[in-house]
Amino acid sequence: MNPILVACLRVLAGLGLMLLNGVVLIYMLRKVLGHLHVRLGPMNVGWHGTVQTVADVLKLLTKEDPTPRAVDKALYFLAPAVVFIPSLAAYAALPFSKTWAMADLATGLLFTFGIMSLVPLGILMAGWSSANKWSLLGGMRAVGQQIAYEVPLLLSALPVVLMVGSLNLNDIVAAQDKLWFFIPQFPALLLFVVASLVELNQTPFDMSEAESELVAGFSSEYASMKFGLLFLSEFSNLFIMAGLTVTLFFGGWSLPFIPAQIQAGFAPIVFVAKTYLVIFFFMWIRGTFPRVRVDQLQQLGWKVLLPANLAWLLVTGVAVKLVEAVAR
Amino acid sequence: MKLWGSGLVNGLRISMRNMRRGPITLQYPFEKLELPERARWTVVPLSDAQGVPVCTACGTCVKTCPDHVLALDVTTNEDRSKHINHFSYQLGACMMCGLCVEACPFSAIAMSHDYELARVDPDTLEYDLITDTPAYKPKREKPATPDAPAQPASASEGDAS
Amino acid sequence: MTQDPNLTAPVGAAVSEGAYVPAQLPVGLRRVPSGVDEVTTEHLVVNFGPQHPSTHGVLRMIIEADGEEVVGAEMSIGYLHRGIEKLAEHRRYNALGTLMDRGDYTSGIHGELAAAMVTEKLLEIEVPEKAHWIRSLMGEVNRIASHLVWYGTFGLDAGAMGQFLYAVRDREDLLDILEAVSGSRMMFNYVRPGGVLADLPAGIDQKLRAFVDIFDVHIEEHDQLLGGNEIFQSRVHGVGVIDKQTAIGFGLTGANLRASGVGFDVRRDRPYAAYEKLDFTVPMATEGDCWARYAVRMEEMRQSVRMIRQCLDGMPEGDFTAKVPKVLRPPAGEAYAAVESPRGEWGVHLVSDGSDTPYRLRYRPPALYALQVVEAIMPGSLIADAIVTAGSVDLVLGEIDR
Repeated sequence: MNPILVACLRVLAGLGLMLLNGVVLIYMLRKVLGHLHVRLGPMNVGWHGTVQTVADVLKLLTKEDPTPRAVDKALYFLAPAVVFIPSLAAYAALPFSKTWAMADLATGLLFTFGIMSLVPLGILMAGWSSANKWSLLGGMRAVGQQIAYEVPLLLSALPVVLMVGSLNLNDIVAAQDKLWFFIPQFPALLLFVVASLVELNQTPFDMSEAESELVAGFSSEYASMKFGLLFLSEFSNLFIMAGLTVTLFFGGWSLPFIPAQIQAGFAPIVFVAKTYLVIFFFMWIRGTFPRVRVDQLQQLGWKVLLPANLAWLLVTGVAVKLVEAVAR
Repeated sequence: MKLWGSGLVNGLRISMRNMRRGPITLQYPFEKLELPERARWTVVPLSDAQGVPVCTACGTCVKTCPDHVLALDVTTNEDRSKHINHFSYQLGACMMCGLCVEACPFSAIAMSHDYELARVDPDTLEYDLITDTPAYKPKREKPATPDAPAQPASASEGDAS
Repeated sequence: MTQDPNLTAPVGAAVSEGAYVPAQLPVGLRRVPSGVDEVTTEHLVVNFGPQHPSTHGVLRMIIEADGEEVVGAEMSIGYLHRGIEKLAEHRRYNALGTLMDRGDYTSGIHGELAAAMVTEKLLEIEVPEKAHWIRSLMGEVNRIASHLVWYGTFGLDAGAMGQFLYAVRDREDLLDILEAVSGSRMMFNYVRPGGVLADLPAGIDQKLRAFVDIFDVHIEEHDQLLGGNEIFQSRVHGVGVIDKQTAIGFGLTGANLRASGVGFDVRRDRPYAAYEKLDFTVPMATEGDCWARYAVRMEEMRQSVRMIRQCLDGMPEGDFTAKVPKVLRPPAGEAYAAVESPRGEWGVHLVSDGSDTPYRLRYRPPALYALQVVEAIMPGSLIADAIVTAGSVDLVLGEIDR
């Protein structure tokens, strides 16, 4: 087949996956938060409100799109795209199964982190160009926290890389066929989850949206599908981070005690199911915890997470070398 | 000294426990609660067994109403019997305090349980409770309270202060 | 600032501990010139409200921020002004409760009670014993309902969400009880001069007992969910400290004052209704920060549960209201009566000229004083802290704006 056609199909598949994921995740968020809060969530559009998000997407698409007069037009229109494109591109390296990845990159992990770190740029653009004080504060907070947490996030994934000796996500999954890494790497898992919650702007680190402080943060001035894109990319980032958590610590698409041949058939389903479980945990946190303060967030990042990460990296490094020495 | 983070885990436990208790939502237009007996909503006129409104047009409620939402338009016939042209009620301004019902010496009005009060047309927020009906003949010759003389609405609204 | 928690501070005594000096309390919008610390930063003046998720109604906070730090704050109130005090001059005495309900709309019983008490004082009406007990009972039911709103929204201000829904779930039961008793969920119009509107309905005893039995469990859950959360603790410990001097100087009352180390509670120190016969403790804290206010209010809810049980057990037989004429015409004169509303000392000062409507009515809105303290202590904190501080003192704008 024509390689360009294949590439196009892969991009389309990624786009479709992302949109579908967004719709499903928004519905899931509403239902999970609803039930956590002794409510029901959407109930009336479709069976138990299943079509509610579709209706909302249609509403967003057909809504009037007012542009405030004072905005910086170029940045204002560019920002949603800058937020959206990285979160779309980050799907590329996620291994849904041994063969099901849009791109099987040798440096998949690095690629995902690298592309995800473009998101704060878009958020800052949105906050800055909106000509709104709340948006500006939200954008600044987002950049501050996301830059500060890039380092802990990368460092908390490093112990796994040390154990595997590869940055390829499929290799990482393959290395977990005996033992999922969350058992030997439990501290790294905790650090990774905390850092990814910050990267995702999720409660308890949703500083840039901080509803009770900044109304809606950087997305205050966006309406219609521009807001839809910002919203969608948030959920797609959620899926990517949860997918990375699964890949790094919970064995990716593999299941224990089941022969590889049988697994291959439903590996993508296993991967998505695991990812959704992690997302459920994130939403559970979201429905329960209060928000951390800005300065506490920075302190946590630099004074707690960074040293803890380094220490754990050291421990893992020594342990890996020891195991190697014993094995030899 | 508890371990840092145990409170976080406990919080997750509590919210999960609440989730398992199940939702308390009542899907309103489809399911409805029964109101307690004392619930106060719109003012409605009461009728006797024959369906005749028992209002004697004494005007006590009109004088009692703190927000002046009730008004009586009464003509007095030659035989000193009264005829209610309009006993009007501004639903939009009523705060359902129930003072008029308490004040009524003949139990001619009551607070109903009709709480679905949304209106499409704002004009329907003001309507007549009783229209063009002869006033009920009170059983007793004199009203129960000393300050409930029969007075047309126009006179009683002014001296509320 | 240590004080014996059992020590009662009678009115006036606390003030005499030292004349209050309005120290360097920057009230109003204080402008700090740019570039004082060698860095020229432009200050941002932002409007919190009147439409904002955490203004508890329609409070407008004009905050001058240097980045994330508040350097000046001004509270702009009056967006909910309905002229309650002026309207009261045209209301008959037994209709005053309808206005008081709408002042502090989360604790209507207390407002009504103050208005009824002041009328009774002027008319020298002897209220039957049972009415006193019903008033105390409903007052405490209403206090829990009001504190639950505060608890939920305080958590919302700190960014959590679950506790709000759980608190509202419990409050829903209380509102059902209040509706069964008074006929309305918030605008009760239940406490009248001379007693109460009607006797407790049949079956309410079991309902209340069932509620307090469940609430005993739920209050601990509430406390653990928010108060046990380390993130929340780090948000409120040492934040928004109101010291004793400031608290007294600004005329704080209620839980806010008790959290600052002054043990004054109208229910205990100037008993009304049946509080003399009830056994309860007045929770105190000395730190004066948001955590202290949180702890005091949570403990107050537990005490209210205790009092509800005592009221149900000790409810005497008898009339629920004294014989009062339908139209009240108190003799000319003036009187003041105060109750301990969930927000503090809610007092009504009433001047009568002998007619059937008051000549002048003024009520003391405890949250107004709390608002002024918040304005004073806000500069120097972070925006997030300012929100939490404003949430911790339990503002109800209906009461402040009148």
